[in-house]
Amino acid sequence: MTAAAPGTGPASSPLARLAAEGATGALHGHAGALYLADGAVVHAESPVVPDVGRRLTAGGRLSAEAWEEAVAEGGPDYRAGRFLVEHGRLSRGELELCHLSALFDAAFFVLFPPDSSQRAPERFLKEARHWLGPVRPVPVPLLQRELRRRGDLLRRAWPWPEVDTAPVVPVPGAVPAGAPGAGPTCGRRAVLQAADGVRTPVQIARALGRSAFTTLLDVRRLAAAGLVRTPPPDTGPGAGPQARTPLPARTPAATVEVSLLYRIRDALEAL
Amino acid sequence: MANTEAALKDAMGSIDGAIGVALVDYGSGMALGTLGGSQSLDLNVAAAGNTDVVRAKLRAMEMLNIQDTIEDILITLGGQYHLIRLLTGRGGQGLFLYLALDAKRANLAMARHQLRRIESELEV
Repeated sequence: MTAAAPGTGPASSPLARLAAEGATGALHGHAGALYLADGAVVHAESPVVPDVGRRLTAGGRLSAEAWEEAVAEGGPDYRAGRFLVEHGRLSRGELELCHLSALFDAAFFVLFPPDSSQRAPERFLKEARHWLGPVRPVPVPLLQRELRRRGDLLRRAWPWPEVDTAPVVPVPGAVPAGAPGAGPTCGRRAVLQAADGVRTPVQIARALGRSAFTTLLDVRRLAAAGLVRTPPPDTGPGAGPQARTPLPARTPAATVEVSLLYRIRDALEAL
Repeated sequence: MANTEAALKDAMGSIDGAIGVALVDYGSGMALGTLGGSQSLDLNVAAAGNTDVVRAKLRAMEMLNIQDTIEDILITLGGQYHLIRLLTGRGGQGLFLYLALDAKRANLAMARHQLRRIESELEV
């Protein structure tokens, strides 16, 4: 059904063990990898999350050539990040902030993949290092606390994870042309404009070169505001009678009532 | 060419009355760096809470159809000032600096000026 709630699933235990051992290497699986050095997380990557290079080049901060050069020249010695700073392409602060944002973004999808067919990583490759090189290590307890907070943010925004993996379908006529309130400044309008009824939230994030988690959160908030469709639970191709964990029956009427209550709460909070 | 830690240290060291400072990503509400704070001022909680302040103000501006950007937000408490400065650099979009000041020791005009300088030195 749905991915385990962050902090409650078994996902955190191999990581906690490696942190306690002060391990160095890569914890990896289908959903991506976490790189550790002396028990702290130094890098995270997930195929569904825009990486540091994508973030820097999508907004025009770096040319694709400058990025490629850093990877080619600095990568073999595990110092592509330092190469960028030493050659004046980026300030140290910019590299740190971009890298930290990408690290937390990817770690969320690695440890709690919204796609329920994927599991949190369990394989550990000792001594593996990442070519970007160390930037700013993140202690595992801090990472886990932040990922729990992010999971809570998603649930509070709109507690139906179905919207995370389905194509984002705008509700026709829900946003009159030029209507204020969708918030381009908060990125929600950009997400809405990129929603073509085919792309999923992570595909929209990749197209826009922005954080996948923030895009998920925007999609959940748009769903709560009634601007994008929330797919009914248990109707996806993978669901049905053979679904492994039976959920308590939720009648359509009950769903509508609860979603109406959420909308009323959000409207009151927005006043 | 400061790194984030140096920029936060600079803010705590050079701004009179500084109680705590944080660099916050307002897409997620996560503090990317914090310095200072106390038992009565948890900077990670402040980061998440003030993200809502920034979002609410951006939303209000949009509803009013104001085509402008926020430079900073000042919140005056009985004993403290809280200053929020949105970063504008090419790589800094979606970030703000949050500074809590002791009202008795702070010089507000100087604090705003110094925060602007720290932002430019951070070069994000």
